[in-house]
Formats: sequence, C-alpha cells, structure tokens
Amino acid sequence: MALLEIRNLHARVEEKEILKGVNLTVNAGEVHAIMGPNGSGKSTLASVLAGREDYEVTEGEVLYDGKNLLEMEPDERAREGVFLAFQYPVELPGVNMATFLREALKAIREHRGLPPLSPAEFMKLLKEKAALVGLDPSLKQRSVNEGFSGGEKKRSEIFQLAMLEPRLAILDETDSGLDIDALRAVADGVNKLRSPDRAFVIITHYQRLLNYIVPDYVHVMVDGRIVRSGDKSLALELEEKGYDWIKEEVGLVA
Amino acid sequence: MSDTAYLQQIAQSDYKYGFETDIEVEKAPPGLSEEVIHYISDRRGEPDWMREWRLRAFRYFMSLLERYEETYPRWAHLKYPDIDFQAISYYAAPQRKPRYKSLDEVDPKILETFRKLGIPLDEQMRLAGVAVDAVMDSVSVATTFKEELAKHGIIFCSMGEAIENYPELVKKYLGSVVPYTDNFFAALNSAVFSDGSFVYVPKGVRCPMELSTYFRINTAGTGQFERTLIIADEGSYVSYLEGCTAPMRDEHQLHAAVVELIALKDAEIKYSTVQNWYPGDAEGKGGVYNFVTKRGICLGENSKISWTQLETGSAITWKYPSVILKGDNSVGEFYSVAFTKGYQQADTGTKMIHLGRNTRSTIISKGIAAGYSNNSYRGLVKVARTADNARNFSQCDSMLLGDKCGAHTFPYLEIENPTAQVEHEATTSKIGEDQIFYCQQRGLSEETAIKLIVNGFCKEVLAQLPMEFAMEAQKLLAIELEGSVG
Amino acid sequence: MTTTLTATTTRPEDRFLHAFEAYAGEVLNGTSEHLATLRRKAIERFGVLGFPGRKSEAWKYTPIAKVLQHPYRIDPMPTVPALTEQTLAGYAIPELDAYRVVLVNGRFVPELSTTSDLPEGVVLTGLEAAARRHADLFEKYFAHYLDFENEPFLALNTAFARDGFFLYVPEGTVLERPVHVLHLIDTDEELFLQPRNVVVAAPGASLKLVTSGHSRTAQRTFTNGVTEVFAGQGAEVHQYDLRLEGEAASGIFSTQAYLEGGACYTNGTLTLGGALVRNNVSVRFDDQEGEAHLYGFFLGRGSMHIDNHTMIDHAVPNCVSNELYKGILDDEATGVFNGKVLVRPHAQQTNAYQSNKSIVLTREARMYSKPELEIYADDVRCTHGAAIGQLDEDGIFYLRTRGLTLQKARAMMLLAFARDVLDQITVEPLRAYLDELVAGRFGA
Repeated sequence: MALLEIRNLHARVEEKEILKGVNLTVNAGEVHAIMGPNGSGKSTLASVLAGREDYEVTEGEVLYDGKNLLEMEPDERAREGVFLAFQYPVELPGVNMATFLREALKAIREHRGLPPLSPAEFMKLLKEKAALVGLDPSLKQRSVNEGFSGGEKKRSEIFQLAMLEPRLAILDETDSGLDIDALRAVADGVNKLRSPDRAFVIITHYQRLLNYIVPDYVHVMVDGRIVRSGDKSLALELEEKGYDWIKEEVGLVA
Repeated sequence: MSDTAYLQQIAQSDYKYGFETDIEVEKAPPGLSEEVIHYISDRRGEPDWMREWRLRAFRYFMSLLERYEETYPRWAHLKYPDIDFQAISYYAAPQRKPRYKSLDEVDPKILETFRKLGIPLDEQMRLAGVAVDAVMDSVSVATTFKEELAKHGIIFCSMGEAIENYPELVKKYLGSVVPYTDNFFAALNSAVFSDGSFVYVPKGVRCPMELSTYFRINTAGTGQFERTLIIADEGSYVSYLEGCTAPMRDEHQLHAAVVELIALKDAEIKYSTVQNWYPGDAEGKGGVYNFVTKRGICLGENSKISWTQLETGSAITWKYPSVILKGDNSVGEFYSVAFTKGYQQADTGTKMIHLGRNTRSTIISKGIAAGYSNNSYRGLVKVARTADNARNFSQCDSMLLGDKCGAHTFPYLEIENPTAQVEHEATTSKIGEDQIFYCQQRGLSEETAIKLIVNGFCKEVLAQLPMEFAMEAQKLLAIELEGSVG
Repeated sequence: MTTTLTATTTRPEDRFLHAFEAYAGEVLNGTSEHLATLRRKAIERFGVLGFPGRKSEAWKYTPIAKVLQHPYRIDPMPTVPALTEQTLAGYAIPELDAYRVVLVNGRFVPELSTTSDLPEGVVLTGLEAAARRHADLFEKYFAHYLDFENEPFLALNTAFARDGFFLYVPEGTVLERPVHVLHLIDTDEELFLQPRNVVVAAPGASLKLVTSGHSRTAQRTFTNGVTEVFAGQGAEVHQYDLRLEGEAASGIFSTQAYLEGGACYTNGTLTLGGALVRNNVSVRFDDQEGEAHLYGFFLGRGSMHIDNHTMIDHAVPNCVSNELYKGILDDEATGVFNGKVLVRPHAQQTNAYQSNKSIVLTREARMYSKPELEIYADDVRCTHGAAIGQLDEDGIFYLRTRGLTLQKARAMMLLAFARDVLDQITVEPLRAYLDELVAGRFGA
C-alpha cells in the first residue's frame, strides 16, 4: 500500500479553483520533488495535505496509509505522521521553543502508544537534533520563530522535522530565501533524515535544492495539475529551459 | 474560531476553591455604626490611638455615604448594582479564639482548610523557603518562620500583633501612603480593617525567604477588609506574595483591602499577587466584589517598588496598584495579567506618579477576555514639574477569546515636564488562526495550542513572579483556560 | 430687609434656557414647524444634560464650566460689520483656487462669497438661505444624524443655530475645486456664537472643504460651532479645519461625520490659534467598507489650551480608521488629546489605528493624552500609541554640524515632527500655506 495516494484532487480558496485534478502516489522511502511556476498550486497542495481550513476540497480523495486524510483534523494528521515545513513559519510570541516541542512530541508519542520522554532524554534529543541542522541549541530558550532570521526559521522547521520524526514530510519552498550555507545545512539535515519508512515531498520553484537532495521522482505542476513526471533529469531540463516549454506542450500558452 | 466548543468551555469553567469550612464564628451584626467600630476595636483589644484612628476614618466614610451620589466612584468601566453597606457584617472571627498564640489553639478544621488550599501551616509540612501568614475572614491564623526571620531582625506578623508590639512603626506609616481620605473604599477600610500582614525589614537586610499571606473569606454575609503594611528600610530587600480564595456563594461578598508599601533609600520591595477570589457562576451569579487600594511610595533615592499581579478571580475587580516615585532615581514597575471569563468584569491598571528626578517606570499589562466578560486596563502616568528626566514605557495588550466579550484600554498620560519621555503602546487582537494551525500541524490539539499561545502572551508578566509561584500561576492560568474542575 | 442672592446661584445653563424662550419664536424658526419642534426638543435635552461638570471624563482636562461662567452675550443674529475685499485678501490662502464662502460672526455674507460656476445640482449657500430655498434638502439632513440627545453642546447649537453654511453635492458629482469657508469673528461685543454647517456628499460624490477661522477683535468671544457631514455610498469627503483665531477667542468646534458604505472621509484639524479650543471630531460608520482618516496638528503657545477629542464608532464590520494627532506645546500652553475607538459587537474585521505624539518644550507647558480603545468584537486589529518626549537631540546636533544655528536647527526639527501630519493634506496650496505658517511660528 502506498503511503500517500492523491486521486483527482480539486480544491479552491473562496471562489477560485486552484487544484484541478492532482494525482500523485508516494511510497515510503521515496523522495518526490514537485516543481512548477509561481501560482501553479504547489503550496496549495501542501496546505490541503496539512489541513488548512482556508481551502475547500471540492473533488477527489487523499489516502494516507490507506486512511482518508481529508477527514482528519490538522493535529490528527500531524500525530499520524504528516509534517509540513512551512514556507512562512508562524511566530508564536512568548511560546518557548522547548515547551512547544515537548508538548508536540508528547502528543505524537502518546498517539503512537509511547510514554513521554523524561526531561533529560528530551534535552538530549533536542541537542542532538539541533546539531543535525546546525542550529544553536540556545534556540530552545527562544520563542517559536520570533525574531528568527529567514535562514533560522527554515532550519528550525527541519529541526522540528527531526524532533517529531514524521512518516511523510512535506517541505514547502524550504529553499526560498536561503543563502548557500543555509541551503546546504537544510539539505544535509534532510539527507540525514531520509529512511526506508519515511517519504519526502519537496516543493520548490528552483532546481537548486535538488543539487543537494537527490529526488527519486520529479513532478511538474502547472495550473493545478501535475502535467509531467520523471526522474531527476527532468529537474535539470527545467533549470535549463524554464517552464514555458512545458506550458506550451500542455497547451496552456498560445 | 470564536464559536468553537473549546472557547465556549473556557467561558464556563468552574472554580475549584469554592468549598466552605464549617466552623463556629463570632460575627458583628450587619451594618456600620460607631458601635460596630468599638466592637471591632474591643474584639481586637486595640489601644486607644488605634480606636481613634478608626473613628476618624469612620466619620469621614459616613460623610461620604451621606453624599453617596456624588462621592461613589463611578468612572470605572464596570456595571453592578449598588452595594448596600449596611447589609454587610464587618467582623467575623472563629469563635474559639480571636487571636492565636500557637498552632495548637487553632481549630483543626481551619488548618485543614488551608491544607486543602495548598498552604500547610504545620511545622513539618510547611512550604520550604516561604514564610506564610494565613488569614481567614478577619483574623490571622498563623504566621510561619517567625523565629527564623526574627534572627535577621525582620518583623513579619499580623497587623493586630504589629499594633500591639510595634505601635511606633504602625503610627508612623499606617495611612501615610493611602490616607483614609484617599477614596471611598480606602475610607471604609480604614474604619473597619481587620488582619492583614505587617512587614518591617531593617536597614541593609535582604530578606532570606519569600514572605506570603494567604487570604480566605469563609463566613457568609461578611466582607473582607484586610490592611497590609510593608516597610523596607534603607538598603533592604523583600519579596512578598499574596494569594486569595473564597467559597462559592450566590451572594456577592465585598473585599476592600488597603496595601501600603514604603521603600526607603536604596530599598526594594517586590509585591506579587495571585488573585483568585470566587468569580461567580457561569450565569454571573455571586462572586466577590474586589475594590482594592494598593499603593507604594519610593520614599528614598534609588528605591524600587515592583507590582506583579495575576488576576483571575472576582466578579468585579477595581484595582490599581500604584507607585509614587518620590526619591530621585527611583523605579516603579507594574506587571499584570488579568483574565476574565463568564460575566466577570475587571477594571485594573496602575498609577505611576513621577515626582523625583531620573525616575523610571515600566508598565506591562496583558488582558485576556473570554465569555461575556469585560476586561479594562486603566492606567495613569503622571510626570510632575519636579520630575526631570522621567522615563516611562507602557505596553498594554489585550486578547479576545470569543465575540461576546470586551477588551478596553484607557491610559492617561499627564506630562508637566519638558524632559519627560513617556511612551504608551497598546494592541487588541485575537489569537491568529495561522498560529493555531501551525501548532496543530505539530500535533497539538486546539486546546493545547490556545493554552500555549495565551501563556506565551502572558510570559513577560509571569516571568516576574517569584520562582516558587511562577509554576503555580501557570497552572492556575491553565486551569482557568481548561473549563473543567481541577 | 433681605436681599435675594439668586443671581449668584444661577447656573450658566439658565442664561441659555432663558435666552431660548426670548428668541424661540420667529427669530429662530421663521415659519418652520419642523424647526420649531426640533429646537424645542434640543433645548429640553440641553436643560437635562447641562454643561459637563468637573467629574465628566470627556472633559477631564478641560475645565469648560469655568469658561462658561463668563457672561457672554447670547445673540442668534449678531450684527455683521461691512468688510472689504481688501480685508478679506489678508485671510486668503495663496494659490488656492476655490469657491469662497464668507461667514462673519457665524452669518453667511453672500456679497463676499463667490459661488458661481458650481456644477449642476450643487448647493453652496448660507444655512438660513438653504432652509428657505432648499427646504427639502435642509429638512432631510439638518440634525438628522447628529447625536444632540447625548451631547449638551450639540443640543445647545441645535436649539440656537440660525446660520452657517450649507454644502450639498449631488449623486456622482465630483466638485473639482475645493470650497474655502472663511469664518471671521468681527465684533465689539463679547459674543457667544453658534454657527451650524451642513455638508452633504450624496452617493458617489466627492468634495474638498477647507475652513479657516480668524478673529478680528480683542473682545472675548466663545464659539459653539457644529458641522454635520454626511457621506453617502462611495462618496469622498476631505475636510480641513484651520483654527487661526486670536487669543481672546475660545470655542468648541464639533464635527460629526456619518458614513455610508464604502465612503471615505478625511479630516484634518490644525490648531494654531485661539484661547481655549476644543475640537470634537466624531465618525460613525453606517455600513461596511467605510474608511476614515483623522489627522491633527496643534501648536500651543502663550496660555493656549488645545483639546482634541475624537470618537470613532465602528458600528459595522469591515471598516478602517486611522488617526494621527501631533502636538507641540510651548510657553504655558496646555495640550489634550482624548481619542476613543469604539468597536461594537459584530463589527468584525475592523482595522483601527490611533496615535498621538507630542512634544513639551517648556517647564510651564503640559500635555495630557488619553487614547482609548473600547472593543467588543474579537476578529479585529486595533492598536493605539501615545508618546510624549523631546526633540531628537542627535538630529539637532547633526544639523548644527552642518552649519545651522541652534534656533534654525530646532525649528527644522519641529517642522519635521509636524511633517507626517502636514503631508497628509491633499489640497496642495493649503499644505504649502501651513508649512509656511508652522515654520514661521518656529522662527525658521
């Protein structure tokens, strides 16, 4: 059974249809990249998978581990192992990072039938995972995302991914706005977290990140649909030629 | 968001300190008269000067009562029926003994009450590192660690004992910060006040432990009118905390306390309050009317007074812990979290009166309103002509949990000196849906997310509480948010 | 024989109540039944409300009762001295190409007003004239949206007001040239003036209004002026009020704006003169998507007392309000800012911003600021701020290192402080004029 099965997914925000029939199958252990021009619906797909309320699914279904993902509350999805690295991580003023993660980890572990970590175990894990993405462990004293630089925010998303050990990780433009060092750190983190029972869906506008994280599959999304799929060479082709030729091929540009 | 089941729940959460202790009490007949003042003075065995002081305040209060329409303070953003001052009993004491010499004399039921409230008074069980004065209705039950404190020359006792044993200090300072003419409720308190705590920290002494008073209203039909006086002599430091609860009753009970703080040269007083009087039921029935005058004076140079309050209880809160910054270079602080739900109404804030040069004040206020409640910040920053280079910064944020409640901000800035720098900022908002979604995406329930975010909102203030109580305060806030019996 | 002491115990209100009875007939109402009824109701409300007392929160820092103890002469139809074009030229705003309305002692002077070439359907005349010649419009708008039931000064004005100006711009009409209303006080009596102005922008209409007040007398006067503004659906109103009166002229200047859906209202209140001046600006949103921008600048000198009082009533969802008031207090002047933003239940998606910044220049000057938020809806974004401080010393030093004198540097910094308010003025000649006026006051 596939880990994630998206069938003919249609979604809209207010009156505007953004996803117009997305089909995608992701198996455990795979890394999928979804590329596409601005406004093609990539980030909407990520938001719909995570359960953001602003989007209304009008058609189609999403099976996660055989279960109907769309019926689950956002926190239920997270506890089932769906993780979204936000394109714009939200600031939570005054909410301490360590407290936040302790609560999150507790909820997720409880769902998996595991006891909460002892404070010592938790701190050890936190240090270990912070090191993985090259984050200063002093961040645990800080408020979630508040006053973080752009790079820190993105690293912090990967750090949280490492802490919460999801089965399906969706990275929504995690590479945008990163300098080359931060990009490497993020990619390093992701590579270390690749495992046979974890899948990644990496949403990106540029090929750049894929130099560091080599995907098993590359999909191109245009106007709310996946119009082409291939291996990593497709990404290089896109880098070279841009998106227009694909748009032309699928008949979206006159 | 605003009509989720969870927020509804918050609006109706229960009070877990609402039990009543069944003890025999001696109670003054309801009403206010000269006889009642004598009755109080008699029962408390007070010297004549104290009796006279009360009578002066009593006469003044009666003159206010005669011109009630003019004199009753109505400027606060509060709605409640008139209080019948002649229907209240102004003194209630456990029958066994109006004053206790030792714990053995205390009715075990009373000790049990405080144990249930988390304030064990017995020798073996008392809280480590915290000296407690426990007050039920009009009487101080016990004060712990007295001997230990005495070694440092620190006086920590009930007001009754202070009047008897330290009359000179009491005469000098009682009413020096809040005179009985100050306001309607201060006048009433001055006439009928009962036990509260008295603290004196001598020159150069840093009080080695937290001092704490726990107030409990128990008897029906009574009010509580405690009086607290804290004097920090030159170069001393003391941190003081008060907590309070009351049984659940359908009637409203009046609490009108006066607290006076005096910080001499280089002294520092930190005063923290966790106010959890009974707030009334989900329909707004019952609950304590809390009309409190709290004021400190930074009398000497370089002195500092810091108020921190967590206000979660009472049906009506009318309270403005203030600092008069008289000494040059003195510092005043006010940190407040006020949480209202159900039909609670709070009008609370501070007054920072800058008189001395280079005086500084900081005001951080966080108001959270849920249910049908109304939550107002009201604060004055006054810079007098004499206060060169005064500085104030105020940040007053409000958060609304639901669309039936109200959050209001009423700052008053009165600047009479060209060198002052005063800045006030305020925001009102609700919890961002994106914030809740972010938390949910990390596996947290909506309830946990709201708790975390509200706690984060209050963090700056809660961080000011003494360590021993910060956890308690967080728990209390969580319980308030929970909507379930603890 | 005992003497009665009634005179000393009379409330100042009584003088107005008596005066009303004396004038209530034809002097005030002509033959209008409608007016007679309205005025009777208004004076009764005034009698009940009375002048605000010492304990009134809205008048906390402005002891108005004391000022009103003075026995000003109450005369709804004061005499109007003849004025020449040459005299008027002294009050012109250079380069301002505008329709001109001249009011002297609150009375419309048609000979001095230039209201020709108005687009079709536009009415620009005196209030009294409008009552006679445009009775339908007058009755439709006069006192219609005004909260005189609860405000004593609005009730008093409604009871007494005889003249003022009336501006009506019909549906969809854009009045390209601004209207400049010149309010002159010219009298040798201690007059109590009560002009009343009505401004109507029908749906889709657009207008720009500049009023400037001047006094040509050393007599103590008091003006209780009221302007009603109605902005219909999608209408746009820009209103700028200049207070340039002399040091014997006190007054309360109340503007109440009522906004239909999608209407946009801008108010700029610029107080550079007067003795005791109270500006009341209130805005009420009647439907969604309304927008209100309130700007104020005040410069207190001598013993001036300037009080800016604003009230924004977000009664419906989805409206935006934005307020910025800045003031400089010199000599022994007193400044007051009291602004309230009220967001009523269900007025969701309200966006309200309020800011007051002031500089106190001397030891004798003072500033009282009281911004208020009263909020009963949760999905809103409301902020306010108030700051009182000094000129940026680093800035002054920087300018001096570039060769400016201290005085020049200070003047430049003060003007810079006023800049973000002055720059909001959309009538360019007015902006330039104010720039000059303000700079002149600082000796730059």
